[in-house]
Amino acid sequence: MARKRSPARLVIALSVAAVLGVFLLYTSIAGGGTPSLQPGQLKGRTGHVTLGGVVVRQAGDARSSGGLRFTLKDRKGSTVVPVVYHGTVPDMFREGREVAVQGTLRDGIFVAQRDTLVTKCPSKYVDKKN
Amino acid sequence: MAGLGRAALVLSLALVLYAALAGAYAAWRRRRRLALSAQNALLAAFGTTLLASGLLAAALLRHDFSFTYVADHTARALPTMYTLSAFWGGQEGSLLLWLLILTGFSAAAVWLNRRSATDLVVWTTPVLGAVASFFAFLLVAVSSPFATQPAVADGAGLNPSLQNPYMVAHPPMLYLGYVGLTVPFAFAMGALLSRQTDERWIIATRRWTLTAWTCLGIGQLLGAHWAYVEVGWGGYFAWDPVENAALMPWLAATAFLHSVMIQEKRGMLKVWNMLLVILAFCLSIFGTFLTRSGVVSSIHSFTQSSIGPWFAGFISAITIGSLALVFSRLPLLRAKTRLESLLSREATFLYNNLLLVALCLTILWGVVWPLITEAIRGEPTTVAKPYYDFFLRVFGLPLLLLMGIGPLIAWRRASWRAVSQTFLVPAGIALVAGLGLVAAGAGSSIPGLVAYTFSAFVLASIVYEFVRGTRARRALSGGSWLGAFTSLIGRNRRRYGGYVVHAAIVLLAIGIAGSNAYQTVREQRLAVGQSMQVGAYTLVYRGSERKTTPQGFEVRGNVDVYRGGQFVQRLRPGKNHYVREQQDSTEMAIRSDKLTGEDLDLVPDYDKSGNFYLKALVKPLVNLIWIAGIVFLLGSLIALWPDAREQRRLAERYAPRRALAEA
Repeated sequence: MARKRSPARLVIALSVAAVLGVFLLYTSIAGGGTPSLQPGQLKGRTGHVTLGGVVVRQAGDARSSGGLRFTLKDRKGSTVVPVVYHGTVPDMFREGREVAVQGTLRDGIFVAQRDTLVTKCPSKYVDKKN
Repeated sequence: MAGLGRAALVLSLALVLYAALAGAYAAWRRRRRLALSAQNALLAAFGTTLLASGLLAAALLRHDFSFTYVADHTARALPTMYTLSAFWGGQEGSLLLWLLILTGFSAAAVWLNRRSATDLVVWTTPVLGAVASFFAFLLVAVSSPFATQPAVADGAGLNPSLQNPYMVAHPPMLYLGYVGLTVPFAFAMGALLSRQTDERWIIATRRWTLTAWTCLGIGQLLGAHWAYVEVGWGGYFAWDPVENAALMPWLAATAFLHSVMIQEKRGMLKVWNMLLVILAFCLSIFGTFLTRSGVVSSIHSFTQSSIGPWFAGFISAITIGSLALVFSRLPLLRAKTRLESLLSREATFLYNNLLLVALCLTILWGVVWPLITEAIRGEPTTVAKPYYDFFLRVFGLPLLLLMGIGPLIAWRRASWRAVSQTFLVPAGIALVAGLGLVAAGAGSSIPGLVAYTFSAFVLASIVYEFVRGTRARRALSGGSWLGAFTSLIGRNRRRYGGYVVHAAIVLLAIGIAGSNAYQTVREQRLAVGQSMQVGAYTLVYRGSERKTTPQGFEVRGNVDVYRGGQFVQRLRPGKNHYVREQQDSTEMAIRSDKLTGEDLDLVPDYDKSGNFYLKALVKPLVNLIWIAGIVFLLGSLIALWPDAREQRRLAERYAPRRALAEA
């Protein structure tokens, strides 16, 4: 083309390159995020993960030294994992609800990080009918 | 009653399908009367959808528990306001609200533009009809609000955390925004289909875009305020997919609002504007889907949700269809002029656009990251706050800076000399403010300090621009300073309304930076009479009280707040228990210092033995976030206010072309 190239193209090309550069920089420093797993995928994992599932049983007190103890089940499936948790418990936490919590698996028990328990956003939550 | 509702929705579906199919045929074959009947079908569809909505609202108010929707989302003891707001508390009702707003907006947009942009409206009608058909189809066949069941004695109730005035206003506001973005999209597609790719589609939809964008912005702030007072963690935004769902189309629409000005003034960026309006619309559909189904934790939940596959198909169809259309019309979208210099108003708009889109797409990348990683590696990986915070700083801080540069720089080509002269005052003020902040100890957070210095720069340049304009106007026409000032705004509503919105964004930035970068948090178990320190406050726990309420009971902990040894206030954070919903709701207490804008947030908790735990947060400048909302609305209203002079100017500019088109 005889027409002189618009500097806009240069700007766009440079910015795309800059964005990609920043992106690579970020992912190389911070890693690719936390794996989020269900109880069935947890076996043998030792790293820090987000565990999501349905609460089946709960006992204890998140404020006591023994912590809140509950069992998480796969959304579809039967594998269960016991969880021990300390800190703030969301209002929505209840048996039968879907929650996510961060932590690591130690000797078959998922030891949760303090104050990381979250329930699904209430605006889209509809209780399963019995 | 439910049968009538279903029938009304089936009728709506038939009407919007007719508008889509007959409208398209009429536009293609140039059948004027058929095109008019398609437009009338769109108007009638609003009527039938309104009837269906009225029936659902009546069923809610009558506590008719033979409606599954009513039984699932309300209970007899629920206050009337929340009974009505349960309309948009669930998936089916909110889809109905979507369709109601969409048919209402479609009818209004078609009606208002039927004379000024006839050739566009002919093609816009089928596009609007097609979008409405999708939602009407979902309501009729997949997710009906009029499903019935044997009546139960009482309903399941509304989730207690949704029983909050902000949650009554937040969803409809967001929906006005989401749906409003359909109008500029439909006109853009109408322009491409009819090959009328001049600026008229932009002019016809400018106020629609602005209104939708304002609603989306206000809706998000209402949601943030709800999270702040109700969810009880002392925050207002957590980069949750549902929150990002509203932020992404807002960012795309912000970019669009800026870049259309370049097309209007200089005839550039035509393809880019098309892409932006497509992006904003697709993201608003995606956002509706996210908030309604809660996907993205996994591909599996995507396919499990009853409406998931339909939405995925619809989003793919509109993305592919509209991009193909843009591609096929590329020769018509050639720019009239070129960017002359990288130091010009146009160029700063271009940088602003690139940054906004980059921010929007990185957020989108974060939201869909679990889906991508699951598809590739078999297990989903999520990114969290650090990811988003990082990119908000990387793209957001330059954006803030550009907001101060853009308005002061000349169109076409600016000289470095003129630029350095213009920026002497604002840059000087920013420098002084930055040094002052370092002296005041704000250096503890570098991003916070940078944000504040940039904010000072932007505010200084906005004030400078107002002063410069007022002075010029007064020199021109004389009179008082106030008269010159109001006439300056009155004659350039769009421009100065825009600057007021900029000021609101600066306030927002100051509030966000302040409350994040400089907050203090303490958490402690308190026995009766025991005290704790947080920031400059001393908190003394004076025991808890229990009271019965219509929906259950409430417990309140009395906490006396002292500052500098002086008693200031008794705060009563606690918990509400809802019997019907079998749930607790944390009721945090907030003390806002109106003078300094500092908030003291108390988040209470009780263990099983009744011991009281208190998490106390001191957040400086949080107030500015809510004040920013008011300023934002004010600026938008100034920019939106009808301007007879502007209308005449536009009518003259496009009159000859329209006469040609109609001939």
